[in-house]
Amino acid sequence: MKNIISKIIYSKKLVIMPVLVLALFISSCEKVIDLAPYSSISEATAYSTPSLVELSVIGMYNGAQRGYYPANGTGRGYPFGAAFVEQGDCRGEDAVNLQAFYQFTYEGTYTTSTANNEAYWSDTYRLINRCNMVIDGVNDAVKKGIITDVVGNQYLGEARFMRGIAHLELLFHFARPYKATAAASHQGVPYRTKAYTTQVAIDDGSKQSRNTVAECYAKILEDLNFAEANLPGKSARSGNAKIVRATKGAVIAYKTRVYQHMWDWANVIAEGEKLKALGADGYTLTTNPEGVFVSNYSNTESIFSMENSANNNPGSNGQLANMYNGKARALVCISPIVWRNSYWLADDKRRTALTYKASSGLVFTEKYKDYTTYSDAGPVIRYAEVLLNLAEAYARRNTGSDLANALVNLNLVRNRALATPATQAYTAASFADNTEMINAILAERRIEFCMEGRRWPDIHRLMLAIPAKLANGNPPAAAFTLGTPYTGPYGVVSVPYDNYKYLWPIPQIEINANPTLAAEQNPGW
Amino acid sequence: MLFSLFLFAGSLAIAQTVQITGTVTSSEDGLPVPGVSVIVKGTTLGALTGADGKFVLAAPQGAQSLVFSFIGFRTKEEPISGRTTLDIVLEQDLFKVDEVVVVGYGVQKKREVTGSIATVKGDALASLATPSFDAQLAGRSAGVQVTTRTGVLGEAPRMRIRGVGSITSGTYPLVVVDGVPIFTGDQGGAASTNALGDINPSDIESMEILKDGSGTAIYGSRASNGVILITTKRGSGGKFKVNYSNYFGVAQPVKLFDLLGVDDFVTISNEKRSNRGQSAWASNDGAAYPGQVVSTDWQKAVLRSNARQQDHNLAFSGSSEKSSYYFSLGYTKQEGVTKPNEMERFSVRANADQKVRKWLTLGTNISVAKTDYYGLNTGNNSLSGNIFSAIRQLPNTPIYNASDPTGYNIEAASPNLVGKWNNNATIGDNLPNIVYVLDHNAQNSKIFRTIGDAYAQFNILPYLNFKTQIGIDDSQSEGFQYWDPIHGDGRSSNGYIYNDYRNQMRWNFQNILSFNKTFGDSHNLAATLVSEVQSQQINSFWGDGSNLSNDFFRHNLITGSYGVQGSGGSLTENGFVSYAGRLNYNYKGKYFIQGSVRYDGISSLPEENRYGLFPGASVGWTLSKESFMSALNNIFSDVKLRASYAKVGNTDIGYYPYFGLYGAAKYADYNGIAFSQAGNDQLKWETSTKYDFGLDMQFLEGKYKFTFDYYMNNQDGLILSAPTAPSLGIPNNSINKNIGGMKNWGYEFSGEAFIIRTSDLVWSADANVTFAGNEVQSLYNDLDMIYNYTIIRVGESYRSIYGYDYRGVNPANGNPLYAKADGQIVQGNIPTSTYVNYDPADPTNVSVAAVQLGNADKKVLGSSIPTYFGAVNTTASYKGFDLSIMARFSGGNMVMNRTRMDLLNQNFTNNGKEILGRWQSVDQPGDGMTPKLWASGGNFVNLSDQASTRWVEKGNFFRFSTLSIGYNFPKDLIKKANIESLRIFAQAQDMFLFSKYKGIDPEMETDGTDYNGTPRQRVVTFGINLGL
Repeated sequence: MKNIISKIIYSKKLVIMPVLVLALFISSCEKVIDLAPYSSISEATAYSTPSLVELSVIGMYNGAQRGYYPANGTGRGYPFGAAFVEQGDCRGEDAVNLQAFYQFTYEGTYTTSTANNEAYWSDTYRLINRCNMVIDGVNDAVKKGIITDVVGNQYLGEARFMRGIAHLELLFHFARPYKATAAASHQGVPYRTKAYTTQVAIDDGSKQSRNTVAECYAKILEDLNFAEANLPGKSARSGNAKIVRATKGAVIAYKTRVYQHMWDWANVIAEGEKLKALGADGYTLTTNPEGVFVSNYSNTESIFSMENSANNNPGSNGQLANMYNGKARALVCISPIVWRNSYWLADDKRRTALTYKASSGLVFTEKYKDYTTYSDAGPVIRYAEVLLNLAEAYARRNTGSDLANALVNLNLVRNRALATPATQAYTAASFADNTEMINAILAERRIEFCMEGRRWPDIHRLMLAIPAKLANGNPPAAAFTLGTPYTGPYGVVSVPYDNYKYLWPIPQIEINANPTLAAEQNPGW
Repeated sequence: MLFSLFLFAGSLAIAQTVQITGTVTSSEDGLPVPGVSVIVKGTTLGALTGADGKFVLAAPQGAQSLVFSFIGFRTKEEPISGRTTLDIVLEQDLFKVDEVVVVGYGVQKKREVTGSIATVKGDALASLATPSFDAQLAGRSAGVQVTTRTGVLGEAPRMRIRGVGSITSGTYPLVVVDGVPIFTGDQGGAASTNALGDINPSDIESMEILKDGSGTAIYGSRASNGVILITTKRGSGGKFKVNYSNYFGVAQPVKLFDLLGVDDFVTISNEKRSNRGQSAWASNDGAAYPGQVVSTDWQKAVLRSNARQQDHNLAFSGSSEKSSYYFSLGYTKQEGVTKPNEMERFSVRANADQKVRKWLTLGTNISVAKTDYYGLNTGNNSLSGNIFSAIRQLPNTPIYNASDPTGYNIEAASPNLVGKWNNNATIGDNLPNIVYVLDHNAQNSKIFRTIGDAYAQFNILPYLNFKTQIGIDDSQSEGFQYWDPIHGDGRSSNGYIYNDYRNQMRWNFQNILSFNKTFGDSHNLAATLVSEVQSQQINSFWGDGSNLSNDFFRHNLITGSYGVQGSGGSLTENGFVSYAGRLNYNYKGKYFIQGSVRYDGISSLPEENRYGLFPGASVGWTLSKESFMSALNNIFSDVKLRASYAKVGNTDIGYYPYFGLYGAAKYADYNGIAFSQAGNDQLKWETSTKYDFGLDMQFLEGKYKFTFDYYMNNQDGLILSAPTAPSLGIPNNSINKNIGGMKNWGYEFSGEAFIIRTSDLVWSADANVTFAGNEVQSLYNDLDMIYNYTIIRVGESYRSIYGYDYRGVNPANGNPLYAKADGQIVQGNIPTSTYVNYDPADPTNVSVAAVQLGNADKKVLGSSIPTYFGAVNTTASYKGFDLSIMARFSGGNMVMNRTRMDLLNQNFTNNGKEILGRWQSVDQPGDGMTPKLWASGGNFVNLSDQASTRWVEKGNFFRFSTLSIGYNFPKDLIKKANIESLRIFAQAQDMFLFSKYKGIDPEMETDGTDYNGTPRQRVVTFGINLGL
C-alpha cells in the first residue's frame, strides 16, 4: 500500500493537483446551495420595519384592485377594481352584453367552473386573507414596538374595513338576501377572521362552515365599527389617498349600504346623517353629474374608489373604459331598458354628458374615459348613493317628516342632472304615496348609477326576479329611440327569485378542496 | 476516504515497459486502418494507429494482451505472448455487436451494460429538416415519446421517457452535452424558443437515452425524467476531412380545416339568428358594397403553403495519435407554415483534444449559436391568435380594402375589428383583421448561446485516471414585441412595444476518478467516483411602452416615443452539490453487477431536507457464455438477462418552493408587498423508484437483435401544488407538498434485423413497440384535481379526459341530450338555457325541470396518454442508391377535440363543415349529433370549456414520418474530381397520416386537449452531402 502511494507521488507529482482541486471545491460548495430569494421577502420579515408594514398594507389594496384571473394569470380587477362594476351590471338588465366576454354572467349560463365566478370568489377571499395577515402582522409589529399604537390602529382600521366590505360583496353573489328568512338565519358565507399561511391553519380553516347571513352582517358591522373608530377622516389624508384609501367617511358611507341591505332604515338614516355632519371630512355632490368622473381622483363626491394607473390596472381584459367605452372595445352598452325608462327625462344631462352614441346607434357609457392608458378609478361608493340611500330609508320609514326628507335627498341628486330643475324637479305633489316615491328613488338609482355595477345588489336586496334582458349581441339602433319604454323583444329570459341560478354556485375548485363547503353548496347546484 | 477504495483495489505495481509495434489492416481490402485504438488490456495505456496503420506502444512488462478497437470493426484482443511486433487484421463489424455506449460520466461496451440505454446515431437525424433535433427522436426508441404538437418553429416538442414523471413539477429529461448538463425548455424572449434548437444536429455524433434506474442513478436527483446524453463529433481516423452538406426544402401544413364556403356560411349564420327570432347577420351582397361579392380563404391567408427551408453545414476534422479536432460551421434558415414564423441559426463548434504528455490529455468542446425566432400570437383563445382567428374570419369579407386608409378591410366605425363588408353585423368575438395583425405585429426572440467545457484528464496509473471538467451554459436572450396601434391582441392601447433581456448562466464543475482493471483474467472491476457542483443564475429585465406617438417607432423601444412606460425584472439562483460513486464488476463477461450511490444537495429545499441519497443497483447475466449454451452459440450469439433498481430524484421543482414569501404587489403606483407563496418547511425530495427487467438477444452473430424490457417507475412524494380551498386565500390556491404518488409501467420490445447483405444489396430493418400504463396513486387528501377537460384522480391515468356523456340530439326539437350520473337523460333546452328531463315517449315535453348538469355527472372518458406506441424503420441500399422509411404509430389515448368545438361555435363567425349536419326540423334532423343552431348560444349548446363524449375522440394513428432516398456517386467517378464522397438525397417528412381523428392531427394535443393549434408541417427537402 505504502509502495503504491509513494509510487504515485514519485512518478506523477501532478496527482496532488486533482486532490487539491477536489479538496478546494468540497469546502466551498455549501455556499452554492445555501441561497435565499432576491425577488421576494420572507414572510418572517414582512412586518419587521415600519416601511415594510406600510408596504404590506398597500399590498392588501393591491388584492382589491388587481385580483388574479386564473385563465390568464393576470389581474382583471376582481373584486373591487373593475369586475365589481362589470359583473354587477351584467347580472342586471340595464346593460347589454354585446360580445362573448360577459356572456356567462349575462345569460346566466355560469356553472360551478365558470372563470368569472371562480375569480370573484377566490379573489375576494384572497383579499380577505391579506387583510387578516395585515391584522396579525400589525398587531405583532405594535407589540414589538416597531410601530406605534396609533399608526397600528389606523392600519387595523383599513384592514377591517376591507375585510368587512369584501364579505359583503360575497354575500351579494353567493347568498340569498338578508330578508330571505325572518332572522336572516339562512346560509351566508364563511366569515374569515384568521390568517391562513401554514398547513395547520389551512386544515383548521377547511373545517369552517358557512356562517348565517345574520352572523355575517353582525361581523361586517363589528369590523366597520372598529374601522370607523380608528380611521382618520379624509382631511387627514392627502392627494388621491383621500379617495383611494379607507377613511372614516368611507366606512360610514358603507354602513348605509350595509343597513340598507338589512332593511334597517333607522340605521341607514343615522349613518347617512352622520356622514352629512362630518364637516371638513364630509362630502358634497359635484356641480355637474360628470364632475365625479372627469376628475375621478380629486372631487368632492367620490367617497371610496379603487385607484388605477397607467402602469398598474385591470388590463385590456378588465379595465372599465376599455370594456365599456364605445370608442374602445365596446363590449357592453347601456340597455334600451334603462335608456328608455320613463323616469329618465329626454333632456337629462346624464344622457349627453355621460354617454356616447356610436355610429351603430348603440349607446355607451362615457363615465370611463381613459381607454388608452387605463387610469380611470374604479368607483366603489360615492356621495350620491348615500343621499339616495337616505332618501329611500326616509321614504320607507314614512313617519312624520320622513317623506319631506326623502324628497330633499332625492332632489339633491336628481336636480343637478335636470335640464330645467325649476320645472322638472319632483315636488311633494309628484307622488301619491311613499310607494310611488320609492319607485322614483329606485329608478333614480338605475339612472344615476347606470354602468357603475349597482344594479345587481339592488335586484338582490329587493328580492326581484332577474328581469328578462335583450339578447346577447348588438341590439338594432332603433331600440334606442326614446319616447316609449322598451317592451321587447327580449333574448334572455327572466330568472325567478327562487331559481337556483339566482345565486352563483360555490366554485368547483372550492368544492374540490374543501369538504366542509362541499356539503354546503347553494341548493340546486 | 474516497481514495482509499481505489488504493485498496489497486494492487499492481508499475514495472518496466516494453515497446510493441505493429500494423493494423482491414480484412475486407487488406488496406491499413488508421485511427485504431490499441490498448493494453485492463489499463488505460494505449496508442492510435497512424495513417499507415502503424502503432507504437509502451506496454508494461507482464502485460498480457492488447485490445484493438475502431468504429465499424469488431474489437480484437490479441495476446502479446512475449512478442514485440503484432500485425493485426481487423474484421468489419457488420452488425455492430461491439458498440460502445456513453453512460453517465463514462463509456461502457454495449454488451456489458446492465441498464436500459437506447442509442441514436447522429447520422440518422443529421440531414432531416427540423428546427431542433429533439423532434426527430420520435419513434427512435422504445419507451421514448416525443410529440411535436404544432407547426410553430420554436415550440418545443413534448418529451417523455417512460411516462409522465411528475404531476406538477418538471417532466422534461435531463440533457447533457459532452458532460455538461444544459438548460432545456424555453429560453425567454417574446417568441417561443426551444433550448435544444441551439444545438446543430449535424454536430451530433450520438445520443444515448438513459431510461432505467441503472443508467440514470448516477445522475441521482436529476434523473427522474430520464437522461439524454449527447456526444458531439470529434476528429478521428487519422485523416484530415472536410464535409459539406446542405438541404433545401419546402414545408406546408399537413392539413387544413374544412371551413364553410360563402353560401353555406350565410345560410348557417342566418339560421343561427332566425332560430332565435332575430334578424339576419350575414349577407353576400348588401348595401355597403353592392355587387362586390367576395370569397376569402382566411386560413390560406394565414398559413404558408410553400415555406422555404435551407440548411448548410461545413465541418473540418482531423486526428493524429496525439490530437484530434473537429470544427464546424452551420447555418439554417427555416420558414414556418404559419406567417410570419421563422427561425434562423448560425452555429460554430470547436472540439479539440490534445495529448500533452503521456499522463495528461487536455481538451475543449465549445459551441456558440445564435438562434433567432420570429414568432406570433398563437394563443388558443386570443383575439389575435393565428388559428383562433383564422377559423372564425368571415369568408364573405375581403382581406384588403383599397378605400380604407390602411389598405386593409377594417371596420371604419370600430377600427379594432375586421370590416363587416356586406354583412349586417360586425364579426363576433371582437376579431381584428388577422392578416393585418400578422403583417404589422412582431414577436421575436434572439438567443445567443455558448455551451462549452474544458477538461484535463490525468492518467495516474494505467488503470486509474482522473478527469476534471468545467462546463458552462450561457444563454442570453433578447425579446421584442410590437403591437400596432390599430390591431394589437384585439384592440390595442394605441400601440405597444416591448424589449427584454434574459441571461441564464450555469456553471458545472465535475471531478471524475475512474478505475478499470482486470484481475486474474476473469475479474473485471471498474469504479467511478464523481463530485459535481452546479450553480446557475437567471436574471432578466424588460421595458415596455404603450400609447405610441407614431407607428414609425416600431422597431425597438425608442426613448420618448411612447406615453406609458413600464419596466421590470427578476433575479433567481439555484445550485446543487453531489458526490457519487459507481462500481461495476463482471466475472468473465458473464456475470455483471453494478452499484451506484449519489448524495445530492440542492438549494431548493429547506436546510433540514436539503440532501438526498439516491442508490441504484443492477445485475446482468450473459447466458450465452454459459457452457450449457455453447452448443447453441451459432444461433444465440449473445443472450443477456438484466435487472435494475434505483431511486432517483427530480430537481425541477422551482427555486424556493418551501419558503413563505411576500412578493411585490403594487396598488396603482404605490409600492406594496403581499403574500405570494405559502411556505412548507417540511418539503423534501421528490423521488422516483425505477425497476427494470430486460433481456437482450443477438442471433446469428448479431444479424438479428431483440431487446425486451419491463419497467416500473414509482414516483413518490411528488411535490404537488396541493390545491387549497380558495376561500382560505392562499396565493394561487395551492401549497407545495410532497403528497403525490404516481406509477408508470410498460413493456418495451425492439428488434433489429440485417435481412439481406450482398455486395450490391443491403437491407435492414428495426422496429420498436411500447405498451405503457400510468396510474395516479395518491394526491392531497386524495382529492381530485379537476381541469376544464381533464382530471387527475387516484386510480386513473394522469390527466384523464373528464366530461359529460353526450347522447346526441333530441329529434323532436334539436336540443342536446346528456346522461346524468343516475342514468336519467336530460335535454339542454336551448331557448331557456336550462335542463329538463327527456322522455323518449314524449320528446317534445320540456316542462319537467332537471337538476343542472354538474361535476357529479362527469366521468372519466379515457386516458390522455397513449397506451401503445412504436415505430418501424427500414433502410435499403442497392449499389449507390439508398432508401429509408420510418413509420410511427400510437394509440389507446383519447383526445378532447376542443378545436372542433370552436369550429361549431354559435357566434357570428365562420364554422367547420360539420355544422351542416345540424338539426333543422323534425323532417331534417341532420346527423343526429349536432343540435339546433342558436345565435350566441355556444356556451350552452356546446358546453364550452367542458368535455363531453361529443368532442372526445380516439387518438390512434399510423404515419409515415420520414421517407428518404439518396444516391452515392461511385467512388471511381468522383475521384477524378478529387472528391472523397458525394451523396444527393431527397426526403419527405409527415407525408401520410392514417387516422380516424377528425382534427388535423391527433398528436396536436396538450394534456389531452387539441385546442386551436397551428397545423404541423410536412417538409420535402433535397440536398447533398459532400466529403473532401
